[in-house]
Amino acid sequence: MQENYLAKWLNNELSEVELAEFKKSEEYASYQRILDASNDLEAPEFNEDEVLMAVNNRRTLQQTKVVQLNPFKKFMKVAAVAAFLVIGSYFYINTLDEKVTTQYAENREVVLPDNSEVILNADSQLSYSEKKWDEQRNVKLRGEAFFKVAKGKRFIVATDAGSVAVLGTQFNVENREGFFEVTCFEGLVSVTFEGKETKLPAGSSFMAINGQIVESQITKAEEPSWIHSESSFKSIPLKYVLQEFERQHNLRVETEYIDTEQLYTGSFSNTDTNLALKSISMPSQIKFKLEGDKVLFYAQKAE
Amino acid sequence: MNIETQNNVCEESIFSTIFKTNSKTVFNYIYYKFGNEEKAHDAVQEAFVKLWENCAKVSPEKAKAFVYKVANNLYLNVIKAEKVRLKYADKSLKSTNETPEFLMEEDEFRGKLENALDSLPENQRTTFLLNRIDGKKYKEIAEMEGVSVKAIEKRMHLALKSLRAQIDGI
Repeated sequence: MQENYLAKWLNNELSEVELAEFKKSEEYASYQRILDASNDLEAPEFNEDEVLMAVNNRRTLQQTKVVQLNPFKKFMKVAAVAAFLVIGSYFYINTLDEKVTTQYAENREVVLPDNSEVILNADSQLSYSEKKWDEQRNVKLRGEAFFKVAKGKRFIVATDAGSVAVLGTQFNVENREGFFEVTCFEGLVSVTFEGKETKLPAGSSFMAINGQIVESQITKAEEPSWIHSESSFKSIPLKYVLQEFERQHNLRVETEYIDTEQLYTGSFSNTDTNLALKSISMPSQIKFKLEGDKVLFYAQKAE
Repeated sequence: MNIETQNNVCEESIFSTIFKTNSKTVFNYIYYKFGNEEKAHDAVQEAFVKLWENCAKVSPEKAKAFVYKVANNLYLNVIKAEKVRLKYADKSLKSTNETPEFLMEEDEFRGKLENALDSLPENQRTTFLLNRIDGKKYKEIAEMEGVSVKAIEKRMHLALKSLRAQIDGI
């Protein structure tokens, strides 16, 4: 029998001898029966017209799509991405807060959208949202600044230590490490410190050192002294005075055998370093040594 | 005279003719493979939509091979075949003079044959049914499956052998 004789048999390709031999075999009857039964087999219904219609529908859909839209598809993709980037960055930049920062020995004047003025003292940062300015006059402050607030809605200065709310006035806010002071020069200022609100009338100050509220004196000035390049202190621990000195003169301060907690009252120049050094050292009876960008304050030995 | 114009599948009449002559076999072909009518319907649609999309590139002579290829590729990753449920032509008119015993026996045999078909490897079943139901020549099946005629003969031979083995319970 030749190879694949069953397939050949179905195709009538067996020789007469082979066919005779196959017919004699005992399996022949079974094979014949399978063949007869399989002739009655039918595949499932297939509705040609229905499928052709479905194909034609998809063809017309495709046609409009393929022929008309395709040349633009690539362009549209690129355009969509570009538009997304432009709009996205526009909104992103818009939501970013405006930021003004000063370095050591630098003051800067900032005019807010409502024409309120802010003068930033050295090493400070002011940020606010220009977009939302019409809804809320909120600024964030790190460091020290003097505010001349234009009349209008509530104006809030938020700091790490506490917040200051006003309607329209002039006041100074200083928030340095462990030190928080608000001085009102005109109008009325409301200071919220550790959840407690304090109202400050013109000429009064609110001060907290290391979280402790400290009584402070009445001021008669109309503006903080640093606006006129002078830093003034009334019974302030020496260490804050020295820190302010560092900021104003961009020098590094070191101390030796000095009680930096002792209170200092006085002022120093923000422009003349030598004069400032004398102003600090004389009343406190300490000595100083200026070397490059370093100043050493040390105790005067009673010899 | 219209031989020139007919040489393009994009021509509506040519496309319809190709569809009418091949769609049923494409349907059956996929059905024998996977035993799923829905898949078979989808394959026919997909194959002819693709043919239309590529009508400028595919000549009428190549269209047949093209649709089988598309239909085949569509389920390239489908391995598991479902039960193939075939129908039987209604012979009741012809066999009125048969005894009830004979008819019962016939029914039993058909049941056995159907089970045996289900358990055949997919390529043997497809070859066997394309030949028996659709009357496709080995050469045509070989073209559809992309193998040699000899390979189809082998599949046919093995299909018959294992059908008998299963039905006779060897």
